[in-house]
Amino acid sequence: MDFNYSDMQQMLLDSAGKLIADTYTLEDIRHQRTIANGLNEKNWAQFAELGWLALPIPEDAGGLGCGLEDVVVLSTALGRGLAVEPYVSTVVVGGHIVGALADEDARNALLGQVATGAARIALAHGEPGERFGDGGARSTQAVPSGNGFALTGRKMLVLDAPSATHIIVSATLDDGSMGLFLAPRDASGISDESYALVDGAAASDLFLDGVQVDAGALIASGSAAETLLSEASDRAAIALMAQAVGAMEGCNDVSAEYIKERKQFGQPIGKFQALQHIMADMFVSTHQARSMVYYALAHLDASPEDRQAAVSAAKVLVGTAAQLVSRSGIQLHGGYGVTDEYIVSHYYRRLLALEKLFGDIDHHVRRLAVHMFDRADA
Amino acid sequence: MHFELDPELQAFREEVRAFVRDNLPEDMKARQMAAGSIFCSHDDERAWAKILAKKGWQVYSWPVELGGCGWNAMKSFVFEDELYKGFAPPLSFNTLHMIGPIIYKLGSQEQKDHFLPLMRHGDVSWAQGFSEPGSGSDLASLRTRADLVGDKYVINGQKIWTSGAHEADWGFFLVKTDTTCKPQLGMSFLLVDMKTPGITVRTIPQINNDEHHLCEVFLENVEVPAGNLIGEAGKGWTYAKMLLEGERTGSSYIFWNKREMRRLLDMARAEKLNGNPIAQDPAFRARLAAIQAELTALEWSVLRVLADEEFTYGTAAASSVLKVRGSELQHAITEAQVDLIGEKSLRVYSVHDLLSDAGTLWPDHVVNRTNMALLTRAATIFGGAKQVQKNIIAKAAFGL
Ligand SMILES: Cc1cc2nc3c(=O)[nH]c(=O)nc-3n(C[C@H](O)[C@H](O)[C@H](O)COP(=O)(O)OP(=O)(O)OC[C@H]3O[C@@H](n4cnc5c(N)ncnc54)[C@H](O)[C@@H]3O)c2cc1C
Repeated sequence: MDFNYSDMQQMLLDSAGKLIADTYTLEDIRHQRTIANGLNEKNWAQFAELGWLALPIPEDAGGLGCGLEDVVVLSTALGRGLAVEPYVSTVVVGGHIVGALADEDARNALLGQVATGAARIALAHGEPGERFGDGGARSTQAVPSGNGFALTGRKMLVLDAPSATHIIVSATLDDGSMGLFLAPRDASGISDESYALVDGAAASDLFLDGVQVDAGALIASGSAAETLLSEASDRAAIALMAQAVGAMEGCNDVSAEYIKERKQFGQPIGKFQALQHIMADMFVSTHQARSMVYYALAHLDASPEDRQAAVSAAKVLVGTAAQLVSRSGIQLHGGYGVTDEYIVSHYYRRLLALEKLFGDIDHHVRRLAVHMFDRADA
Repeated sequence: MHFELDPELQAFREEVRAFVRDNLPEDMKARQMAAGSIFCSHDDERAWAKILAKKGWQVYSWPVELGGCGWNAMKSFVFEDELYKGFAPPLSFNTLHMIGPIIYKLGSQEQKDHFLPLMRHGDVSWAQGFSEPGSGSDLASLRTRADLVGDKYVINGQKIWTSGAHEADWGFFLVKTDTTCKPQLGMSFLLVDMKTPGITVRTIPQINNDEHHLCEVFLENVEVPAGNLIGEAGKGWTYAKMLLEGERTGSSYIFWNKREMRRLLDMARAEKLNGNPIAQDPAFRARLAAIQAELTALEWSVLRVLADEEFTYGTAAASSVLKVRGSELQHAITEAQVDLIGEKSLRVYSVHDLLSDAGTLWPDHVVNRTNMALLTRAATIFGGAKQVQKNIIAKAAFGL
């Protein structure tokens, strides 16, 4: 085992650290929510230029062919910077699912566009009335039509859809199984309601009314589609957990700095043991959270069951840590903690989102418990 | 010991409930329901105060001869409980429990004649100017000073977190009038017309994107008639402490906690997990039941204080119990509300349009829950931060 960064990872981290320090000031972060579609074009162009968007994209599609561990390293820096660019939607989820497109030319063309920043992909899976996609068969229908399919249904809380160029839609096929379809975001028949999220990202509800796609738009169906979706979701969860760890480390640092500076009763409040113990608890949680990101990463290529169990265990732990750290961070800041003008409140909001996305603590506690108690081979 | 509430109180409860039902304007109630906040808009607070004033209930806790209702603690408890339950805007804590009592106990005849009728009729709103950028938990270190020049005080300094200062007519400020003695002995209590030249108010954008509550107040050569001094110069600290000790149960937010617990249970019945109401899910049931048990304990701890139980330890410890657990419950309840709606909690609804549409695919009960949960982080900070409360308990209960 070796938990140290490779030279390449260290370089990646350093360059990310620099960009983050310059581009993600409090002012930039406060500005983010005023961007109508949630995408900061300038930052996205930088992501492309630095090769971040190409990181896990296969080399024959113009990518760098790196593994998810490199994405994790980058993600810790993105998390610290409170970056809400659609990186996970496009590169981690989109990149993985589009990688299964049968048509090699179409696949490489789109992945190439992902790598250059020209394409952005959003996953349209959740539907009204469910929690974390727990609803079983999709209500959205894919009906044979022309040389392909017509998609009809309603998709809720499609993360990063307002700035996407493409969407991946899950829908029920004629035989009752699930299919994953690729469609242009502006295909005719799609209408939307878009809104901002608590961390400054944006999402849409999509209303699909007979959206016509050709046969090649079906990326996968049946168990292959289920597998692909499950892999992509677990990868997304790992990348977002790495962001959460970065955000927690950032939150800890600003909180420690604050209580060293802030004076009450004639001394820095950091001298009060009550606050030192709060900081120590934040540290313990964050340290444990990072361990679990590595643990989940180590199970990426395990059996689907073992991978899911590992990701769920990690998601429970990282989510719980995120809550403790972000809540304590505010408490240590006193009144300043509940203003928009101190970064700690932005850490709070981002960590709230990171705890919820791709399954909250409760969701993953349940999934982990099923693996512990209900598996035939347990 | 006996644990029964006076049976007459049930009839009174129904009277208050009927009054709220018949007199609380629908739109006001809808706004309060959506916001659910411990705060409300200036306009709603004022309008509701006038409705209560007409009934004679606006300053219910004041002495009868000043327009109060003369109810005992339990009756007052039932009264506020029903107002909250009915989603009435919160009563003005400043008027009822802070500056009102200060003026009728310590004010000059002139101050009484001027302010008490205004407050009784709901015609004046107040801001509390205690905290400063460098003086929060350590209030005694405050630096805003008022110098007596002829028959005027000239105030210079800065206040922060002054809730509602941008809309308030008047402020009551704790200022330094003598810098030569021990800080606690050099403080005075001044009433300041917020329209006085030299006052600048800046609203502070909050974690929930609201900019209409917290304020910074800058005071530059603000001239205030010497007659606006409360009581004696140099006694400000004693008066401020008196205020905080006079009202021992408000910090529990018991009525708010009970109402938001009810909302939480309603949400659990409406939200679904795997197609079934969350209210039927064992894990969520266990979590909500544990919160309910804490809430019940808090209510009984409040009742013990209200019924004047003679504690063997300092009463400050019993009051701090209410503040610690009350604020923790505010967290627990709003956190559970957020968790109940799962990923739907991430959508932003404008705090400036409380009646905004949930969205075509979204249930109404999600609107504004996250905004409220975000602001509720402040519960363990304002009015004596949690760590400071624990210091008080350690000292008052155990002499540590
Ligand atoms: C929503 C809101 C509304 C408010 N409304 C008003 C208002 O209307 N008028 C007004 O005057 N003020 C108001 N306040 C101010 C409030 O009273 C202060 O925020 C509070 O006193 C804490 O002070 P502070 O924010 O400076 O935090 P600090 O005192 O700087 O505390 C920061 C942290 O240090 C801890 N700490 C401080 N001292 C100790 C110690 N001795 N031992 C251990 N830990 C310690 C605290 O617990 C906290 O975690 C409001 C505040 C908020 C958040």
